[in-house]
Amino acid sequence: MGCLLDRILAPGALRVRFHPVYEIQAGSTATHYVECLISGPHGTTVEAPEILFEYARKMNREADVDRACVTSILRAAGRLPGELRVGVNVHATTLAMDPEFAVFLGDAASAAGIAVERLVVEVVEHTAPRDMSAFQNVLDGVRAVGARIAVDDVGRGQSNFMMILACKPDYFKIDRYFVHGSHADFHRQAVLASLVHLARPFGARVVAEGIELEADLEAVRAAGIDLVQGFLFGEPGPSAGLAAGARAGWPATAGSRRS
Amino acid sequence: MTKSSDDETGSPGAPPRKRLLLFDDEPAITAPMARYFSNLGWYVDAAGEFEESLALITHRRYDLAILDLRARRLGNATGLELLREIRRHDHWTNVILLSAYVSPEVEEEARELGVDAVLRKPQALPDLAQFAMVLTGGR
Repeated sequence: MGCLLDRILAPGALRVRFHPVYEIQAGSTATHYVECLISGPHGTTVEAPEILFEYARKMNREADVDRACVTSILRAAGRLPGELRVGVNVHATTLAMDPEFAVFLGDAASAAGIAVERLVVEVVEHTAPRDMSAFQNVLDGVRAVGARIAVDDVGRGQSNFMMILACKPDYFKIDRYFVHGSHADFHRQAVLASLVHLARPFGARVVAEGIELEADLEAVRAAGIDLVQGFLFGEPGPSAGLAAGARAGWPATAGSRRS
Repeated sequence: MTKSSDDETGSPGAPPRKRLLLFDDEPAITAPMARYFSNLGWYVDAAGEFEESLALITHRRYDLAILDLRARRLGNATGLELLREIRRHDHWTNVILLSAYVSPEVEEEARELGVDAVLRKPQALPDLAQFAMVLTGGR
């Protein structure tokens, strides 16, 4: 029997769920892009992504697991409608350690039949990259092949101003900590407004993560945010049809978790 | 084999399930033990690798850890080293070390590291489960 890492890296072992980011406009909703989430092999201790990546870090194989995740995601995203953008999470430490990542990303997208311009590389962070220069070089490469860049969980942990400066992202994804309950919290509203203001000179769009309440949806819209993601619109699922189908209008599930 | 029991939360309204971490590199031992404790209502993570166990204790809190003292087929670490890591994270998890043979020196080291019990292999599962219930009682 091989070790757990072999099971993780085996073709088809990693599972993909889709979690759409919606664009809210007056009277209409459309899927702006679809973030693709990874789960570890079914029936193992590493099904939960935080355990999966902690294990990869302990094994010093984070870059290999991240690449396997990207490959699995792009394969699954081939089922999405051709015009939808595809969000792929990659750890900043992986990017700093993997100078060939941009080439890999372009090749993997091509193999999956997905135009690399549809990809949004969501930079997630556990620890800051040790070599910021190498990190930025890889990000330049990612941008050069045509993908967009998002900073995930802005405001929390290492997803801070330094990361924003390093990434110069196309998307600021504001961590749910600042979103959940914002309708009743003046200070959270102030943080949201300041991040909207900060994103403007970067030419970046702002995404509010973790929308679970309609009241919070109204609060983030009042702050000037029109890209939203969260369980109010449905939980992440394996169905590409779910991700695409929500484009028809206001998600049918909205309102099921009213405040 | 590494495995988690299926349902982490249990049935609605029921008290929270106790969490058990099994660390042993021999699936022939962990599989029946995991099944037995799951049937008693425990949530069980059975890990065969040291790094896997480390990842689990980093993100999850366990009521009890049952560690094989000499598990090292898939790594270089032992139950004793995992005990040390568990105690670096918390002093709350009860820890049982299992081994066919434990020298007095190793047992003394385990006691100094904060083990709750050192038991000889093999242990009948009903006896082990009874001991686990007593050790974690009242939680």
